Amino acid sequence: MNALVIEKKFLPFEKLKKRVTVFSVFAIIVVAISIQLDFNPVLFFTEGHHLVNLLGEMLPPNIEVLWKRSNVFTSILETLAMAFLGTVLGGFMALAVAFLAANNTSPSSLVRSFCRLLMSLERVIPKLVMILVFVIALGLGPFAGMVTLCISTIGMFGKLFADAIEEVDVEPVEALYAIGANKLQAIKFSIIPQVVPSFIANLFYSFDVNLRAAIGLGIFGGGGIGFEIHMAMKMLRYSDALALILFTIVLITFFEKISDVLRAKILKSETLS
Amino acid sequence: MRFELTAYKKSFRKLFIATVFLFFFIASARLCRVDLGVFQQGIFEGLSFLSEMFPPDVAAFSEMIYPAFETILIALLATVFGALFSFGFALAGAANLSSPWLKTISRFAMAAERALPEIIIILLLVAALGLGPFPGVVALAVGCLGMLGRLYADAIEEVSPKTIEAVASVGATKMQIIQYVILPEVLPSIISNTLFRLEINIRLSVLLGAVGAGGIGYEIFYSFQLLEYERASTAIMVVLALVFLSERLSDYLRKKIATGGKLS
Amino acid sequence: MIEVKEVTKSLPNGKRILKGVSFKAEKGDFIGILGPSGAGKTVTMRCLNGLTKPSTGSILIQTNGVTKDLACCNGKSLRHIRQKIGIIFQGFNLVKRLSVLDNVMVGRLGQINSFRSLFYGFSNAEAEEALEALEKVKIAHLAYRKVASLSGGEQQRVAIARAIFQKPYILLADEPIANLDPSNAKKIMKLLRPLAEEMPVIGVFHQPEIAAKYCTRIIAIKDGNVIYDGSPKVSDELLADIYGEELFQLDELVEQQSQLVVS
Repeated sequence: MNALVIEKKFLPFEKLKKRVTVFSVFAIIVVAISIQLDFNPVLFFTEGHHLVNLLGEMLPPNIEVLWKRSNVFTSILETLAMAFLGTVLGGFMALAVAFLAANNTSPSSLVRSFCRLLMSLERVIPKLVMILVFVIALGLGPFAGMVTLCISTIGMFGKLFADAIEEVDVEPVEALYAIGANKLQAIKFSIIPQVVPSFIANLFYSFDVNLRAAIGLGIFGGGGIGFEIHMAMKMLRYSDALALILFTIVLITFFEKISDVLRAKILKSETLS
Repeated sequence: MRFELTAYKKSFRKLFIATVFLFFFIASARLCRVDLGVFQQGIFEGLSFLSEMFPPDVAAFSEMIYPAFETILIALLATVFGALFSFGFALAGAANLSSPWLKTISRFAMAAERALPEIIIILLLVAALGLGPFPGVVALAVGCLGMLGRLYADAIEEVSPKTIEAVASVGATKMQIIQYVILPEVLPSIISNTLFRLEINIRLSVLLGAVGAGGIGYEIFYSFQLLEYERASTAIMVVLALVFLSERLSDYLRKKIATGGKLS
Repeated sequence: MIEVKEVTKSLPNGKRILKGVSFKAEKGDFIGILGPSGAGKTVTMRCLNGLTKPSTGSILIQTNGVTKDLACCNGKSLRHIRQKIGIIFQGFNLVKRLSVLDNVMVGRLGQINSFRSLFYGFSNAEAEEALEALEKVKIAHLAYRKVASLSGGEQQRVAIARAIFQKPYILLADEPIANLDPSNAKKIMKLLRPLAEEMPVIGVFHQPEIAAKYCTRIIAIKDGNVIYDGSPKVSDELLADIYGEELFQLDELVEQQSQLVVS
């Protein structure tokens, strides 16, 4: 074989052919889906004026709604309370389930696989289904929203914690066994100290996620600011809706920043000590 | 002496944090109207309600296939457009390619979008454009920006500025640098993140369906509204299967990419 | 041919890094630039490639009988002139995920337009030319490998092949052997030397003995001035003058490092 002849599939022309083929297949799929869904990107430009009109009706945002209507203030607090309680309760339950689901702390393999199954089931159930069910069971309002967040937190973070527990450094655990500690003592003195910082850091992250989710849940009967936005839109009080949306953005950004800072601080103090 | 003081301070701080925490906890519980009586009763009501959902309406299964398909298509299309659109913002938001003010604008747009839940975007779009898949696709595509835009931009920033400089030094244009340096270097991370977003978009597409984007989410929501719970539980089963499969598939593909498996 | 005339460069804070550097290089020259760290070698190289703009002075480059001043070029004209300046770097700076062959072809990106390159604008003939360039640096057998899987010495060869394929009028080498072990460093120098037959090669080196062995001319820069320009047979006095106390510091550093390795 002559070293100076390029193998066929590496020739620029062959590469071009391959690229064109991949691109056309991709384009055909996108176009086919668009046709199937009646999705016409041109609509975005021809119907764009509706969006502009809507924006025109929304402006200027009626900021006064934030303090003039007393139930708006309560609903903001409700949303925060939902996210907070859902995170805290869900977080601790997730931790408990995680200990039962991690192979180095679980009492039996049966319990372990049951907990793992439960968590993966919770992860696939959409929040929409949960909130619809809890609204029927517990009535409209933030209680149903809170329970939904609680359950979804267990699903989301239980697995994370269980994996973290399984990755714990085994040496200190074994050292404790060696001096005659039982399983509970080993968990308390060796595993918990290793897991707690990441647990708290993840709780802050979970609060972020739950705060966003709490707003969405409000629309389906969970109460809070999501419900207020939905109502304002439904009753065509668009400038009120814009004020609430802007406030939501500020709220979420604010808590995201705070949780970022606290999380970094906790993880940092952990690596230092 | 000094040690004791800090120990005292520490325990005081702990007490303070515990008190504040407890206060928030109780206040939140009251705001959420947590009531163990309601909860107890709710368990029974919930269980009897769940029994109403069984058995799932098997006959309705065939009616669920198309909506489920529609939900997937909405998520797919939104991910494609969202990824393209996010990549544009990412190029503008990466410090090693863009000018400082352009970077600031682009990063600000991403942060603002990230703070805006998708459900709000779709409420706005439904108000402006009416019901149907169109606002759903647009809302999900826009919803990609906060997450994908930022992840892409961070990936682009990891490309060594020296490599960019080296290619610029043979006289290459910005377009060529993007094509020959940026794209090959970030493609694996882009594909992996986009797959992850597709998984999220499938879940969101179910949720958005309920507020008017159509698809399987709409079926669930309206079955509940019409009190057709057996039908709803069929739809829920389909969603569970859908979400589970999409999670498995995207996990599998992403692992394959991470281990350097060939995809192209 | 390249002619550097009275080039100065000041930092925004007023510190003068180059205080009037002048020299000339022609076909057949393999110039090694020596100097202590911070003397202005790297800034000189960056000026020669247009990565940094000199504060005053001119850098005349003769291409096809037309003389252009790099110091006056901007935007498009700068890109145009850079197509004809090849450069290899200390850190190789290749696109890690592209194949070796693609990396070589990147060298000619400036010479094809954006629209053409969008559709993989190199012809099969150009790809074969790129393979020949790889053959010249004796790594044609690696052509289809990803650059990330290559050793440092191999990567630097790819960079040289890229520069050969680019067909520049001048080749710049910014500390091309600083990241390589001695045997690879010698191999790279042996590859660079014959290139000087076709175009002036200007390199910055940290090892005076290697530069003296392979270069046809030595330029020494200290405190932003050219203090020596001439034969590669550099006397020890001159070296002591160039590096001053740094030479001894370097010796100490090497000693410390070898002790670290031992312990």
